[in-house]
Amino acid sequence: MTCEEFQRVLTQPESGDTMEQEAHLESCSPCADLVGDLKAISQQARLLQGSEEPSPLVWNSIEIALRQEGLIRQSGTARVPLSTASARPRLGWLLPVAAAVLVAFGILLHERGGRSPQYAEQQSGLRSPVVELANDDVQLLRMVAERTPAMRAAIEADLRSVNAYVRDAEQSARNNPNDEVAQEYLLSAYEQRSMVYEMALDHSLP
Amino acid sequence: MTDARKPQGDRLSEAEAIERAKQGNAEAFEELYHLHKRRVYSLCLRMTANTAAAEDLTQEAFLQLFRKIGTFRGESAFSTWLHRMAVNVVLMQLRKKGLPSVPLEETMETDGESAKKEPGAEDARLAGSIDRLQLEESIAALPPGYRTIFVLHDVEGYEHNEIADLVGCSIGNSKSQLHKARMKLRELLKTSRAEKAGKP
Repeated sequence: MTCEEFQRVLTQPESGDTMEQEAHLESCSPCADLVGDLKAISQQARLLQGSEEPSPLVWNSIEIALRQEGLIRQSGTARVPLSTASARPRLGWLLPVAAAVLVAFGILLHERGGRSPQYAEQQSGLRSPVVELANDDVQLLRMVAERTPAMRAAIEADLRSVNAYVRDAEQSARNNPNDEVAQEYLLSAYEQRSMVYEMALDHSLP
Repeated sequence: MTDARKPQGDRLSEAEAIERAKQGNAEAFEELYHLHKRRVYSLCLRMTANTAAAEDLTQEAFLQLFRKIGTFRGESAFSTWLHRMAVNVVLMQLRKKGLPSVPLEETMETDGESAKKEPGAEDARLAGSIDRLQLEESIAALPPGYRTIFVLHDVEGYEHNEIADLVGCSIGNSKSQLHKARMKLRELLKTSRAEKAGKP
């Protein structure tokens, strides 16, 4: 069997290991190398399964969609034992207020444009996790830490991610003031930030 | 229901999370997402070779799953159900974009051309020295049709009959294209290695 014949047999799906092929492999190191390489590629490829981590924003988007579609019908009470169920409504007003404050805060920052050093660093990378936290964020995290310390790190990561998203959206809107897509992108970013606040309060309120 | 919780902390078991998700429990959805996000996202990333598209498809796959979770009866493994759904979401997207999810014979070299190459004329073998990053880049550089078959078989572990069912080709075609994909990858890896060696 020649190398050409051996390689042709390799491409044929139903070809099994025959004596002739085995004999060729034993006597031909280039073909043996070829078979070894193909096996090594296949083995190495298996190690790529589940090797990548999606951005935290993916879960944020999924959770927002699930809430909007009404698929989430109850909050994550299993994480945080509620002290009294009746205490919740007393602080429930904070949710819409927090959302409104965030939108106003975002618009204010948007209008201030490049004067804020935090928002001047627009080119430092999409969805960069290294983003300053606003005072509101710090207060929220303090509240989360008091109520549910285990959630603090996750909420902080979400806030940093969503702040990066807001920052990119604001930059995009500034650069393209007449672009409707950029404006929608910005609104979506504010909505997502609002949602992170809502979720954090949801987990933190008694 | 028996207590099927995992030993560490208060995390839900998958079975428990599925039942709670059917009731609309937010924590259960999140737990299921975290259990499977890496595999689904990696699958989407390998098949599209695009981070943004992979994130969108991951989101779409999980949303489809969560919308249908009420119909899950447990006859098949949940992970099998989810990953098949993710594959279908990706394949649908590739078809929408006009990219060939089924290998196109005309875009590939023929068996004859492949056989004409002189293996002995090529440089040293790759085995034992395949860099993960180079492999990832080479997979991303594969034509979409090759990439689909290779990722489904060699990365995700699907059998040829399953691939044939998923992408709508014959089992023989799947086997044949897998071989060609591996050959193409070998070539890409060697080129990548040669370029790396040529750099000062």
